[in-house]
Amino acid sequence: MWIVKIAVCIKQVPAYSSEMVSNETGTVIRSGIKSMLNPYDLPAIETAVRIKGKIGANIDIFTMGPREAEAVIREAYSRGADRGFLVNDKRFSGADVLATSYTISQAMKTVDSYDLIICGRQSTDGCTAQVGGELAELLDIPSVNWVNKICDIDDCSITVEQLLEKEKLVLKIPYPCLISVEPSIYSPRMPSLKLKILASKKDIKILSLKDMKDKDFKHYGLRGSATKVEKIFPAPKIERQDIIEKDPTEVAKDIFKLISLVKDL
Amino acid sequence: MSQELIYQIDEKYKEYLSDESRMTGVADSISFPKEENEIIKIITRLKKSNTPITIQGGKTGIVGCAVPIKGHVLNLSNMNHIKDFIKSAGGEYFIKVEPGVSLLELNKEINMLENKEELFWPPDPTEPSATIGGIASCNAKGICSYAYGDTKKYIDQIRVVQSDGIIRDIKRGEELISFANSKIDLIDVYLGGEGMFGLITELTLKLKPKPKFIWGIAFFFKYKEDIFTFAESLITSNLQSQESYIAAIEYIDRETIDIIEKRKKFMSKLQSVPDIEPENTGMIYIEIHGDKEESIETIAEKLMELAISNNSDPDKAWALSGDIEVEKVRNFRHAAPESVNAFIEEMHQQDFRITKLGTDMSVKNENFSSILTKYETDVKNENLKSCIFGHLLENHLHVNILPKNYEEYKRGITLIEKWAEYISLKNGRVVTENGVGKLKKSLFLKATPPKYIDEIRKIKCMLDPEGIWNPGNMI
Repeated sequence: MWIVKIAVCIKQVPAYSSEMVSNETGTVIRSGIKSMLNPYDLPAIETAVRIKGKIGANIDIFTMGPREAEAVIREAYSRGADRGFLVNDKRFSGADVLATSYTISQAMKTVDSYDLIICGRQSTDGCTAQVGGELAELLDIPSVNWVNKICDIDDCSITVEQLLEKEKLVLKIPYPCLISVEPSIYSPRMPSLKLKILASKKDIKILSLKDMKDKDFKHYGLRGSATKVEKIFPAPKIERQDIIEKDPTEVAKDIFKLISLVKDL
Repeated sequence: MSQELIYQIDEKYKEYLSDESRMTGVADSISFPKEENEIIKIITRLKKSNTPITIQGGKTGIVGCAVPIKGHVLNLSNMNHIKDFIKSAGGEYFIKVEPGVSLLELNKEINMLENKEELFWPPDPTEPSATIGGIASCNAKGICSYAYGDTKKYIDQIRVVQSDGIIRDIKRGEELISFANSKIDLIDVYLGGEGMFGLITELTLKLKPKPKFIWGIAFFFKYKEDIFTFAESLITSNLQSQESYIAAIEYIDRETIDIIEKRKKFMSKLQSVPDIEPENTGMIYIEIHGDKEESIETIAEKLMELAISNNSDPDKAWALSGDIEVEKVRNFRHAAPESVNAFIEEMHQQDFRITKLGTDMSVKNENFSSILTKYETDVKNENLKSCIFGHLLENHLHVNILPKNYEEYKRGITLIEKWAEYISLKNGRVVTENGVGKLKKSLFLKATPPKYIDEIRKIKCMLDPEGIWNPGNMI
């Protein structure tokens, strides 16, 4: 029986807020900061698991990071993923979007040819929302971002709804293809106890430079990056406190105006 | 000088006449001291006119402890500094705080501590905006009290301003006083004393090494009978190991789930929690803490077997690990009282006589099924609606009556009085962690032996002879 082969790209991110970026040094204060699965990747996992529930699928998880990033693969297992691949090599560190996409494309090529690759919209640390698009380009497959709904899926294509600013497009995409899903696509399920217990016993395959088809270390990590981050700094906070003293109807009108202004920002 | 610290109560300060109990009180003046010196000045001035003082923190209490009935409101929200982090020669960790520090701020500060070992302060009552002074004054507990005990255990020293303006440092174990034919630690008079004996201006909190791993598991049940048998098996099974332990077992009934889900769209912290299938009649949330994840998994496997044999589907049980993930289910549990309080607020807006109608009773000599069935049957017989949730193993259930009008409110009060009598007969506790305050005063006085009340009065006379602190609370 044919089943769709799905790869889901996920990332372990620091659970930090803007308060944890140093204004002086322009770096993230990592001391004491915990890690978590990028929240935008949860709907990507959920989309894959729903497809699996509907028509049957094999779900492979790919993540690039240190050994600790195994935790996010185990989390994906507890939500219904089948196999996990940790792309890990010292020479991969310092990668920008381009080098990250290249490394993941190489890793995927070593494992399988996927029908469908699913990414989350963006990560909460880099926030570029570009890895999905670049990965598709490097794999030479079509990609659709801002996917808000899976309309249909069969053995040769997937039909999705793409949410644009003022309109929605319904697109039928032949396999192989990549979609980046919006958080609104599905509410992620909670990890199941049964799968979580099994998750700790499942294998995770480590993929390093020696496993890649392209073994030239200059194509990976900092050396393979086209961009360099000079400084990270928190966005300036707009702190304003207004006191409106009028009769309640006028106050309500003013509050409504303020809300409209904030919505337009 | 002190005059500038004291403000007359007017429209601007109206919010300080009420708290989460929805009781509304009266007062003539209010102050917001920033330091101990200012407190002394305020007290000195108020003493001249013999003005009683109600001490106030985050106004998150649900029994009206901080609601004034007369005199002055001394609000401690500006005394919100974290003063010191101490490592004792014996290797214990302490943090010194002012009473107006909120639980949220405290936890944030502890997380930022530069210490080799990760630390935490175990008391974890529902409301993160509760102040440490308030938590100490009602000796709150939180969901993990099964493993860690109450707040008292984690306060080593306090600094108290007496009614005569004298400041005292009281350290645990240094001074004992007589109470009901035995000796108790003086610090424990103030902790849980609901502000009746003095004003706490500083607290030295004892921190503990944080368990390295934490799991939260929520089981769902279609039938009440399965909840009862699962609860029984939790009591009779050995679920502890050297490296891990059960920290919390919480029961949440369907009505509570429904009231939370109705309000979910207004609570951003619940956005990541999926809806619970309508056929489920209740859930049991279990938290496991430990230093080895393998041993937590062993307990989780045992729980899974128990759940299967009690018809709870382990595929549908939620299992989360790590602080960030576990927080999602904790938020759901914490949303229970928040949702009930929001309902009471709506009713209070319609009829100001309606206030919080929740129980805080615990009884050990009774099984969970019979006590829960009793509450449910009584509520049904009175044609009332309720939400029931709370700590399962100590039969410490919070039964919240949801009155739609004043008639129902009155019937609810009668029901709670009946339960208090019943719990007293079973040697249970009528007030466990929320305090007595003003709302539960008559309940407490009826259910407590007169000799015990006399002892409290004796201590009140000894420590506050002029009766200036928190008039109307407890006794």
